[in-house]
Amino acid sequence: MSTLLNAKQLQRSFHGRPVVEPLDLQLSTGDILGLLGPNGAGKSTIMRMLCGDLAPSGGTIEIGGDDLLQRPLPSKRRIGFLPERPPLHQDQTVDEYLTDCAYLRGMDRSACKTALLQSKQQCGLESVGSRLIRKLSKGYQQRVGLAQAIIHDPQVVILDEPTDGLDPAQIRQVRELIRSLAETRGVILSSHILPEIQATCNRVVILQDGRIVYSGDLSTPASPCYRIGLEQDPDEVLIAALSPVTSVERLHTDYFRVTLKTGDNPSELSRLILEKGWGLIELTPETLSLEQRYLQATTGGKS
Amino acid sequence: MIRRLAWVEWKRVMRTPLAWVMLAVSLCLLSWQFLGTLEAFVGMQTGDRILGLTHHLGLQLFGLAAVVLFLITPILTMRVFSEAFRSGTYTLLSSGPISVNDILLGKFFGILLLQLPCILMPAGLSLTLTTDTTLDLGLITAATLGLLLLSALYTAIGLYLSILSENPAVAAAGAYGLSLLLSLLDQHTASGGFLHWLAWPSHYLNLQMGLLNSSDIAYFLLLMLFFLGLSYHRLDQRRCG
Repeated sequence: MSTLLNAKQLQRSFHGRPVVEPLDLQLSTGDILGLLGPNGAGKSTIMRMLCGDLAPSGGTIEIGGDDLLQRPLPSKRRIGFLPERPPLHQDQTVDEYLTDCAYLRGMDRSACKTALLQSKQQCGLESVGSRLIRKLSKGYQQRVGLAQAIIHDPQVVILDEPTDGLDPAQIRQVRELIRSLAETRGVILSSHILPEIQATCNRVVILQDGRIVYSGDLSTPASPCYRIGLEQDPDEVLIAALSPVTSVERLHTDYFRVTLKTGDNPSELSRLILEKGWGLIELTPETLSLEQRYLQATTGGKS
Repeated sequence: MIRRLAWVEWKRVMRTPLAWVMLAVSLCLLSWQFLGTLEAFVGMQTGDRILGLTHHLGLQLFGLAAVVLFLITPILTMRVFSEAFRSGTYTLLSSGPISVNDILLGKFFGILLLQLPCILMPAGLSLTLTTDTTLDLGLITAATLGLLLLSALYTAIGLYLSILSENPAVAAAGAYGLSLLLSLLDQHTASGGFLHWLAWPSHYLNLQMGLLNSSDIAYFLLLMLFFLGLSYHRLDQRRCG
C-alpha cells in the first residue's frame, strides 16, 4: 500500500494560542482514518490544513509525494474535501453545480460530463440532477456535497461529518460509498458519532485539546485488557502494584478491569494473583469498545 | 484557471434575474439619454454648436454610463466574497487547485465580463448614427476605454470591500461610500495636490473628450492594482490567519 498523505509535525496556532500541537498523520491506499474528539479538539482545523484551506503554523504535508505548501496545485488536485457545512451554491441546479466543480478542478468539458454522471450515480443523485439545490432536503444537499468532493477522482478524500443530516438508510449508503471509495483511495473522516467511526473506519485518531491522545487500529485492542474476579477483594492499589499491570478500574465488588503492559500475557498476572492468595475466580479478556477507548483517552477513564 | 473561474462566475450571475434586470435598466437609461442628447443637438442652432455631436455624446451619454456603472458595480460585487465566506462556498475554491491570485483575478474578470454590455452600450448606440453622419471614432474609442478603466476600478474597490465584510449589504455600502469619496476628492482640495489627483472625474473627463493621456490611464491602473493588491493580501491573510 502506497502512502498517499504524510503530515509531519503539523501544528497550528491562532493569535499565538496553539490549537493543534505538533502531530504526525499518515494515510495509505485502503485506509479509512477516523478523527474523533470532543468539540474544539482541532479536528476541523486539521482537516482544513490537510486540504490546503488553512496554512499550518509549522510542519509539512505531502500528498502523493508533492509538498502541499511548496507545490500546492498538483497536491490539491489529489484532494477532495467536504467541509462540515457543504459548500453549495443554492441557486444552481445539481448538474450545473457539479459540472462547475469539475471544471474548476481542471477537467475538460467531455471529462466533466463523464465525471458528472459517475459522481451522481455513486451518490444516488440521478433523479435530482435538474433540481435547484436550495429545493433539496438536507440529506440530498449533503450527498451533493459528497459528490463534489469525489467528482474529480481524488486520491485522498477528506470528509468532515459526512453523515450529518442523513436518515439511517442514507447513512448506510454513505458508509458503503466511503468503503468503496477507500478501495482505491485513502479517506479521512471526522464524526462525533462513535458508532459511525466504528462502523466505517479501520484506523482511528482520538484528539483532545489539539493533541493525539490515542492512535491505533480499530480491529485490535489498544492494550491487553482483562476482567478479573477475586474472592479476597484486595485494594486497587495492591493490584496496580503487580508488575504486568498498568491500570486498574473497580467494576463492582470483587470485580476489576485491569490493563496489562503491551506484550505481557495474563499467565503472569494469574500466577501473581495466586501467589498473593487473593482467590482468582474469573479472568476474561476484554476488547475495549471505541467508546471506552474514547473516554479513557479523553477523560482518563473517569467518566 | 483565471479564464475558467471568470467564465463560471459570469455564467452563475447570468442565470439570476439580477443580471438581466440590470442590463435592461441600463439599456433603458442609456437609450433615453442617447435620444435626449440627439434631440437636443438637432434642435440647436448651428451657431450654438460649439462642440460636435460626438463630443456631446461623450459628455452626456458616456457621463451617464459612468453613473450607471457606479450604481450597478457594488450590487454585482457585494456578494462575490462576502456571501462565499458566509455560505462556506469559498472553501470550494481555497481547497481546490486554484491559487489565491487566480481566485481574485478570476472573480475580477468575471464581474468585468458582466459589465461589458454596459461598457459597450454607449459606443454601440453612438455607432448607429454612422449611416447618417460622421462620428469621431477616436473619441468614442477613448471614452469606451475610460468606461472600461472606471468599471475596473469600481470592481476592484467592490471586491476589496466584499472581502472585508461577510455581510453583502455592508460590503455594498462601503463600496458606494469609497467610490463616491473618490469622485468628490477634487472638490474643496487644492488643484495639483495629491488628493485632487486621487479623484477620478478629471481623469475620466479627458478620456470622455477623446484625450488619451498615459497619465490618466496610469491613474486608473495604479488605483485598480492598489485595491487588487489589498484584496490579495487580505485573502492570503485569511488562509494564514
